[in-house]
Amino acid sequence: MDSDEELDTVPLSRRPEWSDVIPLPQDDGPNPVVPIAYKDDFRETMDYFRALYRADERSPRSLLLTEEAINLNPGNYTVWHFRRQILESLEADLFRELDFVDQVAKKNSKNYQIWHHRRWLAEKLGTDAKCRELQFTRRILSLDAKNYHAWSHRQWVLQALGGWEDELNYCDQLLEEDVFNNSAWNQRYFVVTRSPVLGDLKAVRESEVSYTVKAILSNPENESPWRYLRGLFKDDAQSWVNNSQVSSACLKVLSVKANYVFALSMLLDLICHGFQPTQEFRDAIYSLRASDSDPPESDLGKAICSVLQHVDSMRANYWMWRKSKLPVTM
Amino acid sequence: MAATEGEEEESPRFAPMISFDRDRHVTFLEMMYQLLPRPYQTQEINRLTLAYFVISGLHLLDALDRIDKIVVANWVLSFQAHPRNKDEINNGQFYGFHGSITSQFPPDDNGVLVHNCGHLASTYCALAILKIVGYDFSGIESEIILTSMKNLQHPDGSFMPIHIGAEKDLRFVYCAAAICSMLEDWTGMDREKTKIYILNCQSYDGGFGLIPGSESHGGATYCAVASLRLMGYLEDNLLSKVTQSSIIDVPMLLDWCLQRQASDGGFQGRPNKPSDTCYAFWVWAVLKMLGGHRFIDSRALHGFLLTCQSKYGGFSKFPGELPDLYHSYYGYTAFSIMEEPGLKPLCVELGITDLSVLGI
Repeated sequence: MDSDEELDTVPLSRRPEWSDVIPLPQDDGPNPVVPIAYKDDFRETMDYFRALYRADERSPRSLLLTEEAINLNPGNYTVWHFRRQILESLEADLFRELDFVDQVAKKNSKNYQIWHHRRWLAEKLGTDAKCRELQFTRRILSLDAKNYHAWSHRQWVLQALGGWEDELNYCDQLLEEDVFNNSAWNQRYFVVTRSPVLGDLKAVRESEVSYTVKAILSNPENESPWRYLRGLFKDDAQSWVNNSQVSSACLKVLSVKANYVFALSMLLDLICHGFQPTQEFRDAIYSLRASDSDPPESDLGKAICSVLQHVDSMRANYWMWRKSKLPVTM
Repeated sequence: MAATEGEEEESPRFAPMISFDRDRHVTFLEMMYQLLPRPYQTQEINRLTLAYFVISGLHLLDALDRIDKIVVANWVLSFQAHPRNKDEINNGQFYGFHGSITSQFPPDDNGVLVHNCGHLASTYCALAILKIVGYDFSGIESEIILTSMKNLQHPDGSFMPIHIGAEKDLRFVYCAAAICSMLEDWTGMDREKTKIYILNCQSYDGGFGLIPGSESHGGATYCAVASLRLMGYLEDNLLSKVTQSSIIDVPMLLDWCLQRQASDGGFQGRPNKPSDTCYAFWVWAVLKMLGGHRFIDSRALHGFLLTCQSKYGGFSKFPGELPDLYHSYYGYTAFSIMEEPGLKPLCVELGITDLSVLGI
């Protein structure tokens, strides 16, 4: 449908091909609560929809009507459901239906029904739909790289239909465009933990740590790679504590003396998990103290909490509480 | 109105009001109760949800006297799907509440026609409204709702919202848990499977995604934690316990939630996204359930929310925009958690006024 079709507003009641249909108005009952101020074309389209739906008329004109109803009312799951029934009864070309969804999604890419419909189509078309679905989600993500529905659909396509080969490159590309894109980091995690072409997480861990540390050092205030780094060691805290790339990344950020909240936070977690900091770490942390007049804290965990209380004042109560929960030092 | 226009031009366009303006909010909701403006037509399928925002909002604002409770209860009950006979309970349909009456028809010669279908979110909203207006739950055939609700649960533990098929995720797990909780009967779900599904949704960063593998999200995290609380898998005030052994990773969840408060004082739903009114509820409610709500900067949050308060009443998603019902409601719930004077206390797990505190 072209954009100028919206200008085509001949009411259904004046179109000859609908003259045999008696529209069925919505019965709002005697005392409606939160009634809606419907627009005339919306009300009329739904009145005709109700008539055909009640008559269960699965015809080409019903298919056209659901298209009009969906354009006005894309959240109405009954309309979508009826459309699927019609498509099945008419044995319609489902690739053409993908074209229809492409068009609706341009305006409504955050509508759950569209994505459910898309998945229904992809399930029916099977691996024939793989490339098209990966392309479709790419296009939606090029408009909004954090569209939650598009990511969910893409993850389903990968798992159900395949197409993993190029996915890590795609993550690279998105992170090059915007390294703060947390959805792309999440997708990266999805790939390194689930892709059948990459194998075990441990096999790619060291190279992933290097990649992530590089991203951290260029933007230490970016929460996403810090979370990802920790995630690479999920259920394996010992390897995390022992990994020299991890601790030295923290140290490098501290030594720059700017944007070091996440570095301190990770160091605190490392210490809580048994990390033994060298004098270098101690010096870096003590040099961040608010003023020399503060009483020196011999416990490094406490010192970190004190600095965080000061520089991350929004969460001062949290860091105070963390300080009170620190394991007793030897 | 005309008299104030001159003043508005002199002040900055988005100058926040200095305090929570209860009376304007009551007026805003009263107007919505009478007639929802045209832009809401695209949400007509969720009419019960829109009603829930209005009625529960008025309740939180202690203004339930503005509505006729009996009219509301009867109206809500008119949305319930009924089987023609007992045998139909197991025919795969869900006999909960319809989302709307857009395709609900009068009964034909054979009896009741169920053309639209019961929806989990609508059923949650219906029961919530009925609780609020004080409807006697012994009048609800809970066995029909619960037995047929089992048809919506998948082998992996997730729920779809309607029997004709739809996306399955944590939102509907939450709705199912809230329905069981309000009906005080857990036969409507396999609790163990549900629990495993929720645990599979906890992401590598500590937050929860809507489905396993998806990005952590404030709303999904609320659905996960509130469901586990309602199901009895998370104890009260978890953080105060000496040994924090739990079925979920609590320290990472806590840290993730606290980091959602952005430098402007508001809460974001995901890392590196802008603050948005509704996450003040979704994320803060999680912190409240864990016992970590005192760790955030509530003054800064208060300040952010006031920049989203509309001069017409209601709240917008982002500062200075027009208000909408959804963001207004979650603005009210956030102010309730903040213990704003004049607002009733909230049951964060159920998303309605704490009825037990009121002795209802």
